[in-house]
Amino acid sequence: MRLTRRDFAAGIAAGIAAPYIIKSANAQGATIKIGMCAPVTGPAAESGGYAIKGAKLALEAVNKAGGILGKQGELIVEDDQTTNPGIVLAFSKLASQPDIVGFLGSIRSTQVHAMAPDVIKLGKPVMIGGTDPKLTHMDNQWLFRFRPNDSYSGRVIAEFGVNTLGKKKWAVLHSTDAFGTAGGNALTGALEKLGCTTFDQGYANQSQDFTPVVLAIKQSGAEILGSYFTFENDLGIFARQLRQLGVNIPWVGSPSIVNITALKLAGPALYNTYGVADYAEDSSEGSKAFGKIYRDAVKVAPDNQSSWTFDAINVLSAAINKAGSTEPAKIREAILAIKKFPGAEGEYNFDQNGDGLHGYNIVKNEKGKIVFDKHIEFND
Amino acid sequence: MDLALQLLFTGIGIGAVYALVALGFVLIFRATNVVNFAQGEFSMVAAYLMVVAVEAGLPYWAAFIVALLGMALLGVVFNLGVYYPLRHRTYLPVIIATIGASILLANSVLAIYGPQPQVLEGWFETPGIQVGPVYLDSQYLLIICVTICLVIFNFWFFEKTLLGKKLQATSQDKEMASLLGISVSTMIMITFIYSAVLGGLAGILVAPVLFVSIQMGSTIALKAFAATIIGGFGDVAGAIIGGLALGVIETFGAAYISVPYKDGFAFLVLVAFLIFRPQGIFGERVAEKA
Repeated sequence: MRLTRRDFAAGIAAGIAAPYIIKSANAQGATIKIGMCAPVTGPAAESGGYAIKGAKLALEAVNKAGGILGKQGELIVEDDQTTNPGIVLAFSKLASQPDIVGFLGSIRSTQVHAMAPDVIKLGKPVMIGGTDPKLTHMDNQWLFRFRPNDSYSGRVIAEFGVNTLGKKKWAVLHSTDAFGTAGGNALTGALEKLGCTTFDQGYANQSQDFTPVVLAIKQSGAEILGSYFTFENDLGIFARQLRQLGVNIPWVGSPSIVNITALKLAGPALYNTYGVADYAEDSSEGSKAFGKIYRDAVKVAPDNQSSWTFDAINVLSAAINKAGSTEPAKIREAILAIKKFPGAEGEYNFDQNGDGLHGYNIVKNEKGKIVFDKHIEFND
Repeated sequence: MDLALQLLFTGIGIGAVYALVALGFVLIFRATNVVNFAQGEFSMVAAYLMVVAVEAGLPYWAAFIVALLGMALLGVVFNLGVYYPLRHRTYLPVIIATIGASILLANSVLAIYGPQPQVLEGWFETPGIQVGPVYLDSQYLLIICVTICLVIFNFWFFEKTLLGKKLQATSQDKEMASLLGISVSTMIMITFIYSAVLGGLAGILVAPVLFVSIQMGSTIALKAFAATIIGGFGDVAGAIIGGLALGVIETFGAAYISVPYKDGFAFLVLVAFLIFRPQGIFGERVAEKA
């Protein structure tokens, strides 16, 4: 057989075009891909596992109900190593896949700050659980929050401690990372508005000993403690040392005080403490339904690590279906238009900043069991 | 005064943990002239072995023995797998190999046991005792007692026993030790076993205080490494003194100056030593050896 110049040219053209055709076919493939950065390794690996399970459960339900734009949803997970460089790397790996239409970022504000510049560059929607209020107020239109931010948690802790427990002299303990600092500032600000005196104490993450912190709180003469802990190990060590050194004042903590890992590590040292919890199983019908699904599938009690990713997948899928497109701008508009969406964490009403939730639950640790007390919602 | 006493007790307790791990650094450095960056992971592995043994239903003392035997075995494997193949190379490939081994150990435990931090109960049912204004955590008391015992044991072992003297001879001059009929490779093997057991002991002792997690080893090892430099690299007494000093300095620094900069004080002292006394507190003896 003789190879003509025309055959040769056609062969070359086909060779050049083939990868693009295959890539394009893949891009319009059988599934709608959602990327997720999660701590598979590092200090938050356990809670990262819960987050992945929450997202997968939601996607299973979405797929059973018809999927996303008629296709099955697929979750692509990258390990963020519980570090800032780790999440930047994980996100860049996911961002390099053009067929991923939306992402789940971190529950840790510090990590969301680290990845935020790349999110702007990419220009696709990223669901987050970080609660630093600044995250949705720094001209990044692609971040959408699935937990109430710390301006709400600070106000709820303050209102509960002052108006319900009747305490005016506070010690505010917080991590010095972005999450802890923002939370501590929000709580201190709310307490000052209520006419309270505060003793502010920061600590560095992954501390092995909290004796100086406990003694400082003891010496401050505080009647009540408010806290923002980032890592459960720290919370567990602190809680034990607090009780050992004889400090038994009431304690109202940020959501980490009621998460599963913290309860396991600290044990009785956390009995009778209060927490603000974005997820409380008895707080709504949506929360109860998620609790049942999660317990049946994972065999452990649900907490906010899994509930926010569950809601994020549900909201993102619903938004894509409503938009009828995977175009980022249309998905963004559809998310912002979501109102009265029942989720595991509560009712979602997105504002123009990308915040979906605007209140917190108060819960109490009664001998290791987390009991729902009340929900406080803000409309401003 | 009450505050200072409480801080002193806690500082010595946490410093004793650094000292135990630092001791492992020193022993291996003396024997091989390299720094074993997996020393912290030895602590973590031992703590997990202890948890597994306790969960398997073994009594606490039996679990303790099983964990330490496991560490001795790890010391053998580490020597044969990481140090021995590279023993004729310069120190750099060996150090890099120990870093690689530390990552491998951490990720192996993660793969086998999962990321869940674990709670390991302490040796005593009573968490601690109140002596006047000072609360003495029973686990810290145990750690301090074990450290004192180990100081005495090390002195006796290295100064009074033939095996100890053989180990010292090997660390000072391998060629001369070999000419005198000492099996250098056996001595180095024994050093790795002893260091792994020491690191493991530190991990098991500190686990009830810090919980058992993949990161626990690296967190302690960083401070222990600083303690080793402060004490004088290669000196057993230096490791102990350096560890205790570091624990006390960071605890007092946190209480009286700034809590968030607690780790900063430890490393500030390290930097000061590197600038003004790079040989450490007991540095002269190392200089003589060189």
